[in-house]
Amino acid sequence: MIFFALALRNLARNRRRTAATLGVVAAGTAALVLTAGFVRFSFDGLREAMIHGGLGHLEVATRAAVEAHGAAALDRPLAAALADWRPLRERLERLPDVAAVGANLQIVGLAQGADGASASFVGVGVEPDRERAMGFETKLRRGAGLADAAPAEGEDEVLLAAGLAATLGAAPGDVVTLLAAGESGMLNALDVRVAGILSTGVAELDTRYLEVHLATAGRLLESERVSNLLIGLDDTRATERALAAARAALAGSDPELAVTPWTERALFYEQVQNLYRGIFWFLGAIVFVLVVLAASNTLAMTVMERVRELGTLRAIGTGRGQLAALILAEAFWLGLLGALAGGALGLAATGALNAAGLRMPPPPGAVDPIDLQLAYVPEAFAGAAILMVGVLLVAALAPIARAVRLSIVEALGHV
Amino acid sequence: MSAPGVVFRARALARRYRMGEVEVRALAGVDLDIGAGELAVVAGPSGSGKSTLLHLLGGLDVADRGSVEFEGRDLAALPERERTLVRRRRLGFVFQAFHLVPVLSALENVEWPLRIDGVPAAECRRRAAEALAQVGLAERTAHRPDRLSGGERQRVAIARALVHRPAAVLADEPTGNLDSATAAAVVGLMESLRRELGTTFVLATHDPALVERAGRRIRLSDGRVVEDTGAGAAP
Repeated sequence: MIFFALALRNLARNRRRTAATLGVVAAGTAALVLTAGFVRFSFDGLREAMIHGGLGHLEVATRAAVEAHGAAALDRPLAAALADWRPLRERLERLPDVAAVGANLQIVGLAQGADGASASFVGVGVEPDRERAMGFETKLRRGAGLADAAPAEGEDEVLLAAGLAATLGAAPGDVVTLLAAGESGMLNALDVRVAGILSTGVAELDTRYLEVHLATAGRLLESERVSNLLIGLDDTRATERALAAARAALAGSDPELAVTPWTERALFYEQVQNLYRGIFWFLGAIVFVLVVLAASNTLAMTVMERVRELGTLRAIGTGRGQLAALILAEAFWLGLLGALAGGALGLAATGALNAAGLRMPPPPGAVDPIDLQLAYVPEAFAGAAILMVGVLLVAALAPIARAVRLSIVEALGHV
Repeated sequence: MSAPGVVFRARALARRYRMGEVEVRALAGVDLDIGAGELAVVAGPSGSGKSTLLHLLGGLDVADRGSVEFEGRDLAALPERERTLVRRRRLGFVFQAFHLVPVLSALENVEWPLRIDGVPAAECRRRAAEALAQVGLAERTAHRPDRLSGGERQRVAIARALVHRPAAVLADEPTGNLDSATAAAVVGLMESLRRELGTTFVLATHDPALVERAGRRIRLSDGRVVEDTGAGAAP
């Protein structure tokens, strides 16, 4: 304990220099805390955007459909679609953690506008009430959303993504014709009225995407089957538990069914995570080097200024290890106090930035700017504090090496 | 092996230093025995080798040639760790410039040799307070060195040198920074502590008054002993 007390008093000898070093450590800690908050905010935002943008937390499809293009593929072939899915849905909706289960029927075809312009599309038939219950978000730009009730024949509606609507020259209220190969292989056509214009949030997808009611999609494809069932959960953190429950509930189904969590379908999310982690570690390495240089300089100065005192301590029987412990204790205090100050600074800066209502430019591939809301990451505070103490201990190595190698006689005569 | 009662035994002790391009001969073959309970004064002009002799006797430095035995152990032959323990437990040091730790109080300075030796904190405090009382500073325990006079600082240094009951105290110019009255008081204190505790004192000085008071005078010149008033004998 005496080493810690003495170390603290030694740091107080040159307050300005100690304050400068603490400032560097605090700034480094705050930078790490803020970056961790931004990374977490980005991860969380991207995750929820992907889940509620159409992935759902879990997907149920036939094993054959999943194996046709792999779990990560978004499209499920119609040939392996799910038949007699309503009782299945009822069973799934009774499981704990499940908010709702919505059926999807995917369509690939050609859309033609009133003036003859045409474009290929990828579309999906959805159940608007279920999507709402799952927290799915439709970014409606103009017009209205799809009605919850299945439309009567001849009253089918469509939501066109903005890019596709522009290609077709279509606006809400216009009628466009959708052409797609039905389950029998025959090409079917269906006139649908444009209810609204939406954005998927992804620029490339906006040029090809449309949404119709599940009943409309079934009518176009002449099918009662669905591509998959998407399960929306009350909380993303329950994914693993719900996955196990769903798999248990569907075990032994005929045909065999596969339950795929969103993590296996969102490869983009994993890639973004890896990229951000790389950036985070790169930044961490820069902070590490800066703090080591600053702290090492400070500790070296404290050794140089106290050569005679260190020589005296050695003369009266202080061991080399004890001298090292004394300098390490100073480094420990610099790391700990700097990290605490940096944690407080990071906390305050996080609150201030969140309150400022700043908006970030759209992420790559996205079309909408995002609100900057840094996350509070407790483990980042703890991690940064541990890292900073570790960094300071590393920074102390060179000054310690110098201190323990001092010749006692020369140190005693040092002026 | 030293004879019984001999604390320090130096034989053919030689030490050279290099100062830039110049080699300085600090000691050139010193033979010396200092017995238990002696108060020996090493005198001589500046550069005669007094400090070097004390450094070698105290295991702070290693001779180029010759040997130093302290309590029968060849200090140069000991590993550094052992030598550190000898200094911590069996030797005390007093320096001309006091060399107290400025951020520690008088009590904390005095208890340092005990604290680094793992003595429980309460006992450290008790023994340090006793040592300070012995040197007449019972009322100044909480003061830091910059709040003490030169004489008080040197008394703190003496208390620190004695707190762990060493066999010997080596004092290099202990009165060099003190006025004559304070110097006389400090030397008187060391004499009385020597009598009371039986501790060997070896003092390096060029203060004539201090030399006159010594029971044993060892005079150095050019690194050699030119006068020794009572080798091996207690005064």
